[in-house]
Amino acid sequence: MSFKGFAGKFVDEAKLNPNVGTFSYILHRITGIGLAIYLIMHTWVLSSAQDGPAKFTERLGSVQTPLFHLLELFLAVAVFFHLLNGVRIVAADFLPLTRRHKELFWVVMALFITVMAWTIVAALPKLLGH
Amino acid sequence: MDVSTSSKSTLTWFLQRITGLLLVVFLFTHMNINHLSLGERIIDFSLVNSRLAGSFGWKVFYIMFVPACAFHAMNGLWGILIDYRPSAMIRKASLAVLWLIGLALTYIGADTLINLFEA
Repeated sequence: MSFKGFAGKFVDEAKLNPNVGTFSYILHRITGIGLAIYLIMHTWVLSSAQDGPAKFTERLGSVQTPLFHLLELFLAVAVFFHLLNGVRIVAADFLPLTRRHKELFWVVMALFITVMAWTIVAALPKLLGH
Repeated sequence: MDVSTSSKSTLTWFLQRITGLLLVVFLFTHMNINHLSLGERIIDFSLVNSRLAGSFGWKVFYIMFVPACAFHAMNGLWGILIDYRPSAMIRKASLAVLWLIGLALTYIGADTLINLFEA
């Protein structure tokens, strides 16, 4: 599977069915892949505790620079979009809400914006602090 | 469609939703304690250790969190992969790789949690 084939599938789906369901499906996949890759890196960083507290603090410190704190906002976008949209998917699957999935998408977006506003405010001390 | 394949994919579909719901609770709590409520505090060994050593509950929390994450991530990647209709050989090879990564993540995570933070 080439990258063109991978991305082309999304373009085809978006052209064929341009609505919020397709948009959220594409975003759910892209954030999901990103989070899976992040999970592996995250486990690698934290497993440095195996080499002692000093190594753990050192390696964790190397990913807590202002640049990484900024990048963490993108991580939060992926986490909270995937999390909230995932709740919408489960609600549509398990509750009789399949026909209302489009309205649910806008509920998800409202919650997403609220949580992201909270995240950005919470990140300000670190972004501005050092 | 082969019945065994169909019931297996129904099970993984179901488990993806169950682990997803667990992750809503786990991940939101995790993001809250490590990103949303620390202020300027940088995360270091003493912070993580004081949390994990101070409470059996946090260890149980993370030991459940790690395999739920590993399963959800690897099963999610599998779901994306099979949408592209790969050949049987690629399917088998990638299934093995995903299992390997998932089990390695679970083992490394659990080992770190159990052995390297004071009980």
